[in-house]
Amino acid sequence: MEKTCGLNACNHSGTAGSCALNKLGIGCSGFVVSVGGDSELRRRLLEMGFCNGAQVEVVRRAPLGDPIEFRLRGYHLSLRDEQARHVTISQS
Amino acid sequence: MSSCCKIESEFKSDDGRLTIALAGNPNSGKTTIFNALTGLRQKVANYPGVTVEKKTGRCRLPNGAIASVIDLPGTYSLISRSPDEQVAMEVLRGLRVDTPAPDAVVVVVDASNLQRNLYLVSQLIEMGKPLVVALNMMDVAQRRGLNISAQRLQKQLGVAVIPVVGHKRQGIEQLKAALMKPQVAPLPDWPLPAEMREEVTVVGGALAILSEEKSLDQDKAIAERLLIGDRARDLQEISTREPVASLLGHANRRLSAAGIDPMQADIEAHYRWIDVVAAGSLVPACERLGSAGAVLDYETPKGATLTDRVDGVLVHKFWGLLIFAFIMGTLFVTIFWLAQPIMNGMQNGILWIGHWLTHALPEGPLKSLLNDGVIGGVGTVISFVPQIALLFMFLAILEDTGYLARAAFLMDKLLARVGLHGKSFIPLLSSFACAIPGIMATRTIENRRDRLATILIAPFMSCSARLPVYALLIGAFFASFGALAQAGIMLACYALGILAAVTTAWVFKRSLLKGGATTFILELPSYKLPQISQVARQVWINAGKFVTKAGTTILAFSIVLWALAYYPRLPRDRADQADANVVAAAQSEHSFAGRLGHWMEPGLRPLGFDWKMGVGLIGAFAARETFISTMGITYAVGDPGESGTQSLQSAMRGDHYASGKPVWTPLVAVSLLVWFVLALQCMSTIAITRRETGGWRWPIFMVVYMNVLAYAGSLVVYQAGLLFLHA
Repeated sequence: MEKTCGLNACNHSGTAGSCALNKLGIGCSGFVVSVGGDSELRRRLLEMGFCNGAQVEVVRRAPLGDPIEFRLRGYHLSLRDEQARHVTISQS
Repeated sequence: MSSCCKIESEFKSDDGRLTIALAGNPNSGKTTIFNALTGLRQKVANYPGVTVEKKTGRCRLPNGAIASVIDLPGTYSLISRSPDEQVAMEVLRGLRVDTPAPDAVVVVVDASNLQRNLYLVSQLIEMGKPLVVALNMMDVAQRRGLNISAQRLQKQLGVAVIPVVGHKRQGIEQLKAALMKPQVAPLPDWPLPAEMREEVTVVGGALAILSEEKSLDQDKAIAERLLIGDRARDLQEISTREPVASLLGHANRRLSAAGIDPMQADIEAHYRWIDVVAAGSLVPACERLGSAGAVLDYETPKGATLTDRVDGVLVHKFWGLLIFAFIMGTLFVTIFWLAQPIMNGMQNGILWIGHWLTHALPEGPLKSLLNDGVIGGVGTVISFVPQIALLFMFLAILEDTGYLARAAFLMDKLLARVGLHGKSFIPLLSSFACAIPGIMATRTIENRRDRLATILIAPFMSCSARLPVYALLIGAFFASFGALAQAGIMLACYALGILAAVTTAWVFKRSLLKGGATTFILELPSYKLPQISQVARQVWINAGKFVTKAGTTILAFSIVLWALAYYPRLPRDRADQADANVVAAAQSEHSFAGRLGHWMEPGLRPLGFDWKMGVGLIGAFAARETFISTMGITYAVGDPGESGTQSLQSAMRGDHYASGKPVWTPLVAVSLLVWFVLALQCMSTIAITRRETGGWRWPIFMVVYMNVLAYAGSLVVYQAGLLFLHA
């Protein structure tokens, strides 16, 4: 499936070249730049593998719009929009 | 077996009995391996004080030694704060008085999800215990084009890596053999930032001075844990001792000045090591390596996996919801309708056996106690078993296949609004059949606060035991309003329960069970075929635990209720009447329950209830539908279970106070319906809540808040209704 997954797939107004994970379009992927949020959430996300520039792909959103399913390090996990926004992604 | 490690521990405990802890990520297939290791020799209990299940079993090693195996809760990490992870960590570190410190650890690793699974392995290596890796799901990895070599992984980790296929029992004997001589892995040189490395050396040096016997590796591992803020019980004392405490303070200041968060740096260093180990475990001819040669190339899957394709349908916007509704509908119909005849049959069977057993006994207290107290109580306990068995069959299948996580994924948004979790859906749905299996099903919710909130609101779902009471009252007082109005009232009862549940959940999550937003991190595991043996085991364990643990409490309640209704006996002259129903009614009023009803009447009057309803409510404590038979006895029309409810309904309609006013009006019926929707008056719910929350605190709280709410609800409805009718 050909899709424009550049920064135009990211509908936000942040710094150039990066994007909050919850804003990334479905089917697009990026690389983890940083993880924010309170220390408990951050630790959990890091421990689940959101670190070292790992590639994350947005697989789909749940039928009701939230949570979001991601593919990361060869497995699937889902986060609520509210948590995914703490992960910053870059396109390269 | 390789012997590339520094320390080899010959495996001997004082009493010859070894303790082995089985660790692993959730969904790593740990339970299958536990079952394969221990066979049927398992014990399931709870860790004291927490609601975490403790599973232990025994296994015979090839050298004849008997090892006791502890199945730890599935965890992603050992520094976390959830009760499951806490217990796993404490058992592994030997910090729990109720569990012996393990002599060795088996860690189950899902080969198809190697990187994330290796994170736990990296923490276990740091712990410095003898370790054996059981590499599971190699077949799945292979199908995904990942050719992982156990030998290569073993070489890099420095401990035995045994490929296993749990459900086919492949590799289990090799695993047992490896357990005779487990090895301590050498501590890897985590690629930490240079600044942090320095601090580890400094703090580790201080620790080495304080403790002579530990190895340098152990001191470094502890220094690392201290720096990232891990204050588990084994570190509390050392972290406050000098010079460690001040060194830690300096280190943290220096690190934060350098812009380093120790926790993040530590996890990232572990993952950097993992990236190298994972890449080095692949058979190179079959797998491209990244240009740097260090990154396992997971990111370009060779076409969609089976799970991807199945998910395309099962979590599809339209089909996904449709299939979900169908599955949940099937689940509900099964435990609501299908279980009912089995339950009734079993209960009647027990009662029949009781009558047969006590046949020879003379009429009197002993016979009545055995029949109505003990055997009635046993019947109540047994009657829950079909529902519990069927629900746990469903849960085990849904969990084994991986659909349970999808169900939570689909429903999370709905429940998140009131502060609950996607996994609260099935317990709440089940509670419409019965709160007992519903509350037991909350075990799938990992977060303790979410789980408690779900338990606390589950009894608001109108269960099948309320249905006959609703039907009795609606039939008696609203029959003239037409079928549509009756259906509407019935529906309103269900709606009121849901409304109460949603509102209280919202309130609890903002007050009592507050604690930051729920961290919703839900793994969506690959789909698997369920194994019949696993499902059967789950059903057997849960039904058995219900009977032995909650059953005893229910039985005790049942005997107390029997005594309340049986004593004191009517005087001989009043008991010698021809009409048995009249005698039963007089006995009921004469009993403690009857007196309690009279005593409660002033308090119940504002709700529109009289003493007879009070007696009915006491009877309903055994099970809500008992209200009907209790009312049948107090109205001297016999047990409606045999003669139908028509005579009871007309007796209720014909009942008058001394003043000539009718006892029952449609408004009274509505008030009583509100009471039945909101009140917690089910001893079995109390018993199971006690069991699931590990103490009396929460069940008592539940009884108080729900009954206060019910009283307030009925009061408002009745008083407002009176005002409205008189205006």
